[in-house]
Amino acid sequence: MRQSRWLYAALILLYTFLLGPFLVIFIAAFGADSTLAFPPRGGVSLHWFANVFQTSQFIESFWISLGVALLATFIALLLGIPVAYALVNFRFPGQGVLETIFSSPILVPGLVVGFAMLRFFVLFSGVNVFTGLLIGHTAVLFPYSVRVVSASLRNLDPALEQAAISLGANRLRSFMLVVLPNVRAGVAAAFILAFITSFNNVPISLFLTGPGVTTLPISMLVYMEYYYDPTIAALSTLLILFTIVLVQGAERLLGLSQFV
Amino acid sequence: MRQLNQNRIITILVTPALLFLSLFFLLPLVAVLGSSFRGEAGGVTLAGYLDFFRDHTSLVIYWRTLRLGVLVTVLATLMAYPPAYLLSRMPARRRALLMSLVILPLMTNPVARTYAWLIILGRFGVINRTLMALGLTEEPVRLLFTETAIVIGLLQLFLPLMVLPLVGALENIPDDVIEAARSLGAGELTAFFRVIVPLSADGLVMGGTLVFTGAITAFVTPAILGGSRVLVMSTLLRQRALVAIDWPSATVVAAIMLLTTLAVNLLLRLFRPKMV
Repeated sequence: MRQSRWLYAALILLYTFLLGPFLVIFIAAFGADSTLAFPPRGGVSLHWFANVFQTSQFIESFWISLGVALLATFIALLLGIPVAYALVNFRFPGQGVLETIFSSPILVPGLVVGFAMLRFFVLFSGVNVFTGLLIGHTAVLFPYSVRVVSASLRNLDPALEQAAISLGANRLRSFMLVVLPNVRAGVAAAFILAFITSFNNVPISLFLTGPGVTTLPISMLVYMEYYYDPTIAALSTLLILFTIVLVQGAERLLGLSQFV
Repeated sequence: MRQLNQNRIITILVTPALLFLSLFFLLPLVAVLGSSFRGEAGGVTLAGYLDFFRDHTSLVIYWRTLRLGVLVTVLATLMAYPPAYLLSRMPARRRALLMSLVILPLMTNPVARTYAWLIILGRFGVINRTLMALGLTEEPVRLLFTETAIVIGLLQLFLPLMVLPLVGALENIPDDVIEAARSLGAGELTAFFRVIVPLSADGLVMGGTLVFTGAITAFVTPAILGGSRVLVMSTLLRQRALVAIDWPSATVVAAIMLLTTLAVNLLLRLFRPKMV
């Protein structure tokens, strides 16, 4: 079928708008001058990349972001996989209500969740900052883990598990040895999606970070309030490259975009 | 006996997650709603809400938030429909590559993503330099810290959430249907509006819900591109809670954001076409 030319023009416009800004950041990151002029005038330099690694607040918050993202993703999967299994394999009264509750953390604005947790949990209970941050992130990641794992459980042939059970395995054993290995792509996709979501999160972290415990996106926001140089462009370049590698890899291996 | 056993399994599977969410997520949210209706002297009152909606500044911010949300949703629909149609007709392999590029803005660090617009829209950014080079303006035009800047930033962020469901809905329309419309005499535009749009309405409503609710609650984009000059509900919440440290009024802002999002979700659920 012949496609009109304007459809292709619209496609190019969409991709220019979505991806063009990334190109601008890359170019700005290599500029030598310390203002945000674009295109940069003073020649090419790696100075701002060096500056990223010499800025201790970025290094420290990177490790905290990484720790929170890994731990929160792990806990969210630990809580979410059993829920996904129950929702897919059983029909029971109140299931609809449960499904709504379990998906609600993505329906509620993240900033409201962060605020509510700070005011009515963290300040009440007096847990330390890292624990509060971890709990907040886990709650927000939880729906992703349920949704993605459910999707791949639904594609699994129930005969596999029935065969394992009729051969004498109990439910736990058949789950660990038969079901889980067969949905590992879904679990991996859920892990990557949840990890990226946590690593990039601002709304929850904005309220739940505290003195000495800051995540990378928050320390970038703070840095931007005080400095106007291309260090953020250099750091952004590194983060965008990291994302491209992760997303392309996940897309090729797992078909990530169908789960977003 | 078997039923009993099954109930026990279900209970074991869902209880940890249910406890976790109830304690750390649902309870604080209920507390926010509850405390937004509580007066200074105790008792139930609408005073917080009345204060909010009677105050000119906060009313302007509320309407601005909704207006920008509608604008972003409409623009996203217009920008996403034609490319989504094209994508849905592509061979699977090429489509997969292009789709993984579409989701890139969603997956990128929000500060990094928004920072680009600071460079593009800034006083000496690409646009102002071009305008000045062309002699269209002598002084740099203010583009940053305007509603336009916020709309541009939100559009880049949320276009993927419109493209994905649209492609999903459009790829279910068989080529034959469109060709049938054509061979029965429908022009390209008629075929589009009378056949393609109704058959992809599901994806449109889904995408619209995601884009609109995302746009009215986004934080980083309006924080960087609107600053304290052009506040929206999310940046207002931050200001009241973390800058002014006015908990009661911040709580009302949070409750209004929460109730608005829930209302929008319920409302759009009614529009979801119940087709086969």
